[in-house]
Amino acid sequence: MTNLNAVDPAAAAQDAHLEGADVVIGKSTIIFRRFMRNKTAVAGLAIFLALTLFSFVGGYFTPWDKETIDPFNIGMPPSAEHYLGTSQAGIDLYAMTVEGTRISILIGLVVGLVSVLIAAVYGCTMAYFGGKVDKLMLFVLEALIMMPALLVVAVATSGGGAGLKQDLPSWLLLIIVLLVFSWMGTARLIRSLSMSLMQRDFVKAAQYMGVPPRRIIWRHLVPNIGSLLVLDITRGVTAAILAEVAFSFIGIGIKLPDVSLGVLIGGATSQVQTFPWMFWVPLTVMFLLTGSLAMMNDGLRDAFDPSSSSSGKARKKRARNNGTDQSLVQKKAS
Amino acid sequence: MSSETTAGPAESAGLPAERLHVAGLAAPSDAVLSVRDLHVRFTSENGMVHAVRGVDFDLMAGKTLGIVGESGSGKSVTSLAIMGLLPAAAEVSGSVRLNGRELLGLSDKAMCGYRGNELAMVFQDPLSSLTPVYTVGTQIIEALTIHNPGMSRQAKEARAVELLAMVGIPSPKDRLRAFPHEFSGGMRQRVMIAIAIANNPRVLIADEPTTALDVTIQAQVLEVLHTAQEETGAAVVMITHDLGVVAGMADDIMVMYAGRPVETGGVDDIYYNPRMPYTMGLLGAVPRVDVAEKTSLVPIEGMPPNLLHQPTGCSFAPRCPLASDPCRAGEPPLSAVPGSARHRAACIKSESLGADVDAQDVFAAPPVPVSRFDAMPREERSAVLELKDIRKHFPLTKGALLKRRIGTVKAVDGISFDIREGECFSIVGESGSGKTTTLLEIMEFHKDQDGEVVIGGLSNKQAADARTKSAMRRELQMVFQDPTGALDPRFTVYEVLAEPLQNAGMDRQAIKKRIMELMRLVGLQPDHVNRFPNQFSGGQRQRIGIARALAVNPKLVVLDEPVSALDVSVQAGVINLLDRLRAELGLSYLLVAHDLSVVRHISNRVAVMYLGKIVEIGEVDRVFGNPRHPYTRALLSAIPVPDPQVERTRERIILKGDLPSPLDAPKGCNFATRCPVFAALPPAKQEKCLSLEPPLEPVTPSEAARTLEAAPGPSPDQRFACFFPDGQLDEDMLVVHDTADHHAP
Repeated sequence: MTNLNAVDPAAAAQDAHLEGADVVIGKSTIIFRRFMRNKTAVAGLAIFLALTLFSFVGGYFTPWDKETIDPFNIGMPPSAEHYLGTSQAGIDLYAMTVEGTRISILIGLVVGLVSVLIAAVYGCTMAYFGGKVDKLMLFVLEALIMMPALLVVAVATSGGGAGLKQDLPSWLLLIIVLLVFSWMGTARLIRSLSMSLMQRDFVKAAQYMGVPPRRIIWRHLVPNIGSLLVLDITRGVTAAILAEVAFSFIGIGIKLPDVSLGVLIGGATSQVQTFPWMFWVPLTVMFLLTGSLAMMNDGLRDAFDPSSSSSGKARKKRARNNGTDQSLVQKKAS
Repeated sequence: MSSETTAGPAESAGLPAERLHVAGLAAPSDAVLSVRDLHVRFTSENGMVHAVRGVDFDLMAGKTLGIVGESGSGKSVTSLAIMGLLPAAAEVSGSVRLNGRELLGLSDKAMCGYRGNELAMVFQDPLSSLTPVYTVGTQIIEALTIHNPGMSRQAKEARAVELLAMVGIPSPKDRLRAFPHEFSGGMRQRVMIAIAIANNPRVLIADEPTTALDVTIQAQVLEVLHTAQEETGAAVVMITHDLGVVAGMADDIMVMYAGRPVETGGVDDIYYNPRMPYTMGLLGAVPRVDVAEKTSLVPIEGMPPNLLHQPTGCSFAPRCPLASDPCRAGEPPLSAVPGSARHRAACIKSESLGADVDAQDVFAAPPVPVSRFDAMPREERSAVLELKDIRKHFPLTKGALLKRRIGTVKAVDGISFDIREGECFSIVGESGSGKTTTLLEIMEFHKDQDGEVVIGGLSNKQAADARTKSAMRRELQMVFQDPTGALDPRFTVYEVLAEPLQNAGMDRQAIKKRIMELMRLVGLQPDHVNRFPNQFSGGQRQRIGIARALAVNPKLVVLDEPVSALDVSVQAGVINLLDRLRAELGLSYLLVAHDLSVVRHISNRVAVMYLGKIVEIGEVDRVFGNPRHPYTRALLSAIPVPDPQVERTRERIILKGDLPSPLDAPKGCNFATRCPVFAALPPAKQEKCLSLEPPLEPVTPSEAARTLEAAPGPSPDQRFACFFPDGQLDEDMLVVHDTADHHAP
């Protein structure tokens, strides 16, 4: 270090090494690669995308829609005219499934994304300010957790929400109610994670540089819990779809004329014996939907987790190469 | 190495004898532990890591071997391999013999018969090596039960009490029923040592036993280890990165680099006559607390090699200033140094190196930078930071619902000092003395603080609004202890450096230009700005941290233990950089450090803190050269010096006990409970210490000093808070190791 301004040769050598060994890979690339290495997760993603596509363009393949009654085909099993048969009222099941899938996915995505976003901002804010702000916000959060969500949903979507119901379609109302009750658990998790991040020196460094709190939360806290957020989004989507199905099943979620997978399943339970297709088709679609999300979630967790074994393959291959290298060296030496 | 591993079975039969001859240490029968050609390989994400590459040594009973090296040099792996504690994924080959019995290849169950019985280990972190849910007594008795199933309960308890007394734990009988959390760090490490020596081991391995402890506690624990060795007659393997710690304790030293021993020999050979450039560099990189003369430290550039790849030449060659083509042509074997029986070095140039070659010349240490402020008298420079009577008290409350205040923790209790331009001011003290709280109080800069903080003319008492605060932030920046934690892992270096500049409202072009400047300033390549922090080494990361602090051109930089997380050789580079920046940019530093050698090297003035109060303050050479307060004297005497001669003959003050809890801080002098002077005072004078709080008073030069200094100049810059600075020291607390004592059987 005779001259500190000069770049030392050792560091330069280190660079060459770094670049040569592809160490400089973006983190997102690594995560993407690891995700793609997990075949189950990729299959899950494919199924989910296919279902989404189906829910949007599937309606063009049939002349029927979810409201038109076919008086000549009431309660018919699948046929060339009605691909999946018709309901007791003579409505095409295929058209209803397409519509129901779309509503279910819509509810799932909106609730999953927005609730995690609310949770992230709420949790990080709690952790950042601490003290009284934290106490107050935590009180609100606990109060919401303790509120009987089922009753509120029932009241909002049935009798009590009459005024609301006139202005809003039932699916939007359900989204709002689900949103109100779905973010608390995640927010608490994010609060505790951010609190440990707050102890890290880089947050302190930003504070001492005079960076405003809003910027610290947005630039330092949220990105550092990013992997958790992504995981929570997929988990939240699954949870929201299941909640919608459950609520609609017991008759307090989506109301006719809106259809969703839950409404279809709920309506068909009493007729499993007589009209089995009415029950099994929406149920299969629901399984495909939640199942594909669960498969994806698994792969995402592996991709984000630095200690996961998803790099095992690469390691084994390299190690074997190294082993051969060594034996070569040894052969040469002897 | 490759030639060694390829040696056929026919050859290896003849090897041990030959090796012994080369090792020249002893015949195998005398050695308690003999390690031959130890290799350890790990599989990792990137391939096979060859962590230990051929370690040989013999250890005699009652002797101490010091293994020294930087992190990643394989010293801990070596010790774990001997203990058989490596994970199953590790491939271990070679031979480890304990009293002639081979240990490698034994099953885990068979190893359990040796571990804790004949082989014992003391780990680095005393906080995590004891189980929190069992009492200390249970844990000691457990060690006894396992290897002595026939021992009666009473006998085991008696032995446990005996052991605790041996490691210096007061009232051992009662403490047996205490849980680990009721002990301080130093006490826990003593308990660990007690457990380790419970079954009179033949070999005791201590892996960085004092790294996590304060200097005064370190001195105590080293003392306990010394006693333990005397009591059991065990051979000790002492693993450390601190050349000072082993200087006084070890008989032999092995310096490891990149998994191989690069120099072995007696203590004196290694310290006074190093023959391998790496050892020379290590010795030159450590600042010394007992040297006043200012020289630059020796930095070893670069990083240790990647052990994924088989080195083709000397593994130190890329960092060695003396490296030439023959060095890169093959790894030099460990060969005997002429003129000394046991001294061996792995360097082809070892013969031309020796005591007369100066590491400063070899490694081309930079010249000592001179600041434009150095020539100016202190009084004429303007103050960049003033603290007036800063206090920080924490209320201590009890009760779940209704909180009663049961006491006050006085973390900082009335501190005043000022820092002038171009000056480095340091605060030293044990952990818990209030150093960090003082820093936080300065960084807080809040109106409601108790006491006044004036930064560059801005006082916290006057308008502490947002504008004043941001003006103050431009005057004052901070460098953190842990360079990894201080940089957001999701930011590129560019973003890290841009953050303070954006905050100061600079435009894009100006930011870009400034960042390039900063990178050059701290000795990093400007085109590295697009990298993430995890792609840099520790020293480089700390340089980025320094660059960030300098971004807005502050006048004062607060350094919170800036080098304690770095390896010795890297540390030297960062210290030199800080020194140079201070001179070039006219910066002032406020440094908090527990390493007094670093403090002496870099600072101009120093304050010694004890329990929230400054007990001695003044010019660094005065305070360190002629300490007046007994605590300062104890601190200074506790610091190990990398010089075996000095270490062996030095008089040490070993303080009794730990820092008292700030809750029951004494009424009079805070230090009275541990003070060696106090202990020797007559009761009448003790009364004064206990009832009155000594004020911080300037040193009055003695008669002799006054006649020596011809002109009656200004009074020296040194103040201390003690009534009886010249009192006799209590003899119980003085320890002198002479050579004879050291080699006691």
